[in-house]
Parts: sequence; structure tokens; C-alpha cells
Amino acid sequence: MMVGLSFLEELPPAPITLDNYAILFTNSVYLDTIWQTVVITLETTAIALVLGYVLAYSIVRFTRRTFALLLLVILPFWTNYIVRMFAWINILQEGGLLDSVLQFLHIVNGSVGLLYSHEAVLVGFVYVYLPLATITFYASLSNLNPHLIEASKDLGAGPIKTFFKITLPMTLNGVTAGIVLVMIPVFGAFVTPTMLGGVNTTMIGMVIETQFTESFNWPFGATLSVVVSAVVVLVLVGSYLGGGNVMGLGGEEE
Amino acid sequence: MSFASSLLRRVEIFAQRHAQTVGYGVITLLMIYLWVPILTIALMSFTSGSAMSFPPTSLSLKWYEAFLTNPKALTAVWTTLRVGAIVTPLTVVIATMLSWAIDRYAFRGKNVLQLLVTLPLIIPLIVIGIALTMFFGILNVDSGFWTIVAGHTLRALPFATLIILPTLLTFDNRLEEASMDLGANEFETFLQVTLPNIYQGIFAGALMAFTISFNEFVVTYFVKGTLSTTFPTWIWSMIRHRVTPEVNAASVVFLLVATALILLAVSLTHVERITMQE
Repeated sequence: MMVGLSFLEELPPAPITLDNYAILFTNSVYLDTIWQTVVITLETTAIALVLGYVLAYSIVRFTRRTFALLLLVILPFWTNYIVRMFAWINILQEGGLLDSVLQFLHIVNGSVGLLYSHEAVLVGFVYVYLPLATITFYASLSNLNPHLIEASKDLGAGPIKTFFKITLPMTLNGVTAGIVLVMIPVFGAFVTPTMLGGVNTTMIGMVIETQFTESFNWPFGATLSVVVSAVVVLVLVGSYLGGGNVMGLGGEEE
Repeated sequence: MSFASSLLRRVEIFAQRHAQTVGYGVITLLMIYLWVPILTIALMSFTSGSAMSFPPTSLSLKWYEAFLTNPKALTAVWTTLRVGAIVTPLTVVIATMLSWAIDRYAFRGKNVLQLLVTLPLIIPLIVIGIALTMFFGILNVDSGFWTIVAGHTLRALPFATLIILPTLLTFDNRLEEASMDLGANEFETFLQVTLPNIYQGIFAGALMAFTISFNEFVVTYFVKGTLSTTFPTWIWSMIRHRVTPEVNAASVVFLLVATALILLAVSLTHVERITMQE
């Protein structure tokens, strides 16, 4: 794998030049795209983080049917990505499920027309990455010793204080891992914004895809990929400094 | 008592009383969020009309029939199955050898090897896809069936390794020593002692590899060339160019296959391990 990747970093446009980078960082279209990508990535990560944590916490603390619930979280996740995005097209499009339900309840007349918008992309991304975040948080929450929480409550702390003083700090590792696992793929994604986003919602992944499949401007596509890779490295270094251990995620540390 | 601390006390009391209710509420709402799209697509696949509006006016199986008699769709499914049939054993063999090396031997660069195996999990797929496209481009390898196989193997390898490695790590090596002390040679020991013990992990790894290959889109999209089409890339082009409810029917087929594979894999391994994929 890394053979391929290192390759990419070394592959300069035939005579070595920085022109591609110059174009990238001076053209306002590309700067806008990068900015939009950053915004969508941060929004998705924040929403998936909160929802995923609350869901994992609820599953660990309030239910006994942990296995069944986890299965229900994982199954959608393993359904084909494109199929899931297509399902959201069906729901969000004009006359789709959302419109029908809202009209039935007399909340709106006509269409809310959510498809092909910034919000649609967010809904789609959160849908895809919520299970991943939940499972990651679940793993660290279920490793938390419940006696610690009892001890905290015995000592007079309420549930909120206990959460911020005990639970959250003790699962910070999982939180960092969850952030990394959501942030990195969203930053490089092109399927979701292509399918759910409109002409105004362009992400860097879509530009890369176009460079390779339509414009055949490989060097510029490679330049963009290097930018994406650089962001990945930044996120990883950031998470490392933040104390997360992403590399150990795959189960070795269990 | 300041205002802030009395407010905090009220919030604490509220949390104490209602946390469980709120928790159940969150679980219910998010489960609806996760499952409504899937149920919608399943329901829409039975429509008899050709429009994609919801709810379907009447029910029929005609889009399943259309899908099952569409030669392009069937070719795509067939290609996907052939790719999977090669990727799965290939991935399992490499993953088992890697796990074996990591488990049994101390060598220089072992940590680096472990890192390299896990790294593709967190590199955006588009970067992998492009790196491979350039790699094959510069080596002058024609895009097509075999580049897809290579791409899928690369994608599946980390997952398979992460499933197979723990199985080997927890296997008690003394069993092998006992077998050899009793006169079996290394090969006999592997077949009759080691393999039966790590078989489940390997099988789960194989299921994982096949599932990934079956669903893989982004990397395939970049390395497939113009002639080959897999099931996911076929659905993609259908959605991009002319959407009919046939796509819904095909999606349900996807859903069922993925569900069956995952349930099988889950029954063999821990739920938490089966987490990552785009």
C-alpha cells in the first residue's frame, strides 16, 4: 500500500514544478472548495461525535440488550455505501418520503426540497459515520470500570459532574480515535457530495475525481491528493499529541 | 448559594431522574434515523409504477424481474463474484502469513509492518484509488479485472489481518509443542493442531474480505478501466444516468447479501471488531 502512496508523493509533473500548487492556492474556486470541505468535515465530525457518544453511552448505561442494539447500529453501516446514499436521495428528493410525511402532518405544503444542498450532504455524512463513531465510543465506554462512577456518586457528585469529571476524561482516548476515524474519510469523500450535494456544495474529493476521470489532468489531481494526505498527517499528528492511539485501534489494545 | 450553582443542582436532579428516559429516547430516535432509509428503499423496490415517488401506488415484483433479466446487471454481479472469489483466498493467505510473522517471530521492522498493515484503514479511499491508478499507469498495467483484484486485496488486507491476528495471539503455543513432543512433524502439527484452533478466525477474516470486495466502490471506480463493471459501479452509473426502481430492487439484493454475510461473521467473532468500512 505505502508503495503506492509514497509513489504519489514523489510523482512530480514531468519537469518538476510548483505550478500546480500555485494554481491551487491562488485560484479562489479551489480555495473555496477547500474551505467548504473543511467546514463540512468539522460539522459532520461534531454532530457524529455528539450523537455517537450519547448513543454509545445510552447503550452501555441504560440497556441490557447491548448485543442486539450494536448489531442494529452495525448492519446499516455494512450496507453498500452507494445504496445508502441512494436511499437518502429517495427520502430527500421532491415528492420523496420526507415531503410525503411533512405534507401528511400538514407541516408544509409543497416540497422542502432538501436534496442537493449543504444540509443533505451533512445528513448523508452523519448517517454514514454515526455507526463508526458509536462503535468506537462503545468500545472505550464499555471498558470503563463502573465502580469509578459509583464511587464518584457516593462522594456526592451528581450525574453531570460525574460525567465531566470521570466518564469523559476516562474515555478521551476513544473520543480522539472517533474524531480521527470520522474526520479523515469525510475530508477525502466524493460519493456523498456528488450524490446529495448541489452545484454549490463542492468538496475537494469531487475535484480530484474530475481531474482523473474527466479532465485527465493527473498531476493536478495528484497535487490535490497530496493536500488531502497532508491534512491526514496533520490530523494524525494532532490526535497523537492529544493522546489518542489510533494505530492501536484495530483490536490489539482490547 | 450563587445562581449558577443552584442551577447546576437543578440540572443534576433532572439528570438523576430522567437520564434513563432521555437515553431510551436517543436510542429510539437514532435507530429510526439509521433504519428508515433502508426500509424505505426496501419498500420502494416493490412499486409497480415507474416513478420514484413515495409511497408506491401499488405493489409488484416487476423491478426485480427487470433486474434479474438485465444482462448488464447480471454481468456486473458476475464480475463482482469472480473478483471476490479470487480476492478472498488471496487476502486470507497473505493476512494469515502476516499475522503468523507478527505472532511468532521477532524481527527488525515488526512495528513498522504492523503500522503499514493498519495504515490503509485511515487513508481516505480516494487517495488509495489515485495512488493505485498512478501506480498501474506508470507500470503500464492495463486497467481491468486484475487491477480491481489488486485494489480489493489491498482494501481487505488490513481488516482480515486485524481479525486473524488476535486469533493467533490468543492461541496457546504449548499445544504445538505438545504435538511435536508426541512425534508429529511441523506440517502435521499445523494441519491437525494449529489450523483447527485458528480456523474460526480465518473463516471470519475470509467473510470480511469477501464483504469488503463485494461492496467496494471508490477504489474500484478508479482502477476498473472502461471495460469492467462491478455491481457497485453498475449501480453508481445507473443512479448517475437513468434512475429506475430497478436500482431499488438491486439495492435490496445488496442489503440481503451484506446482512447475511455480516450476521455470519458476527456469529464467529466479536461485534466490536467489525467496524470499519466506507
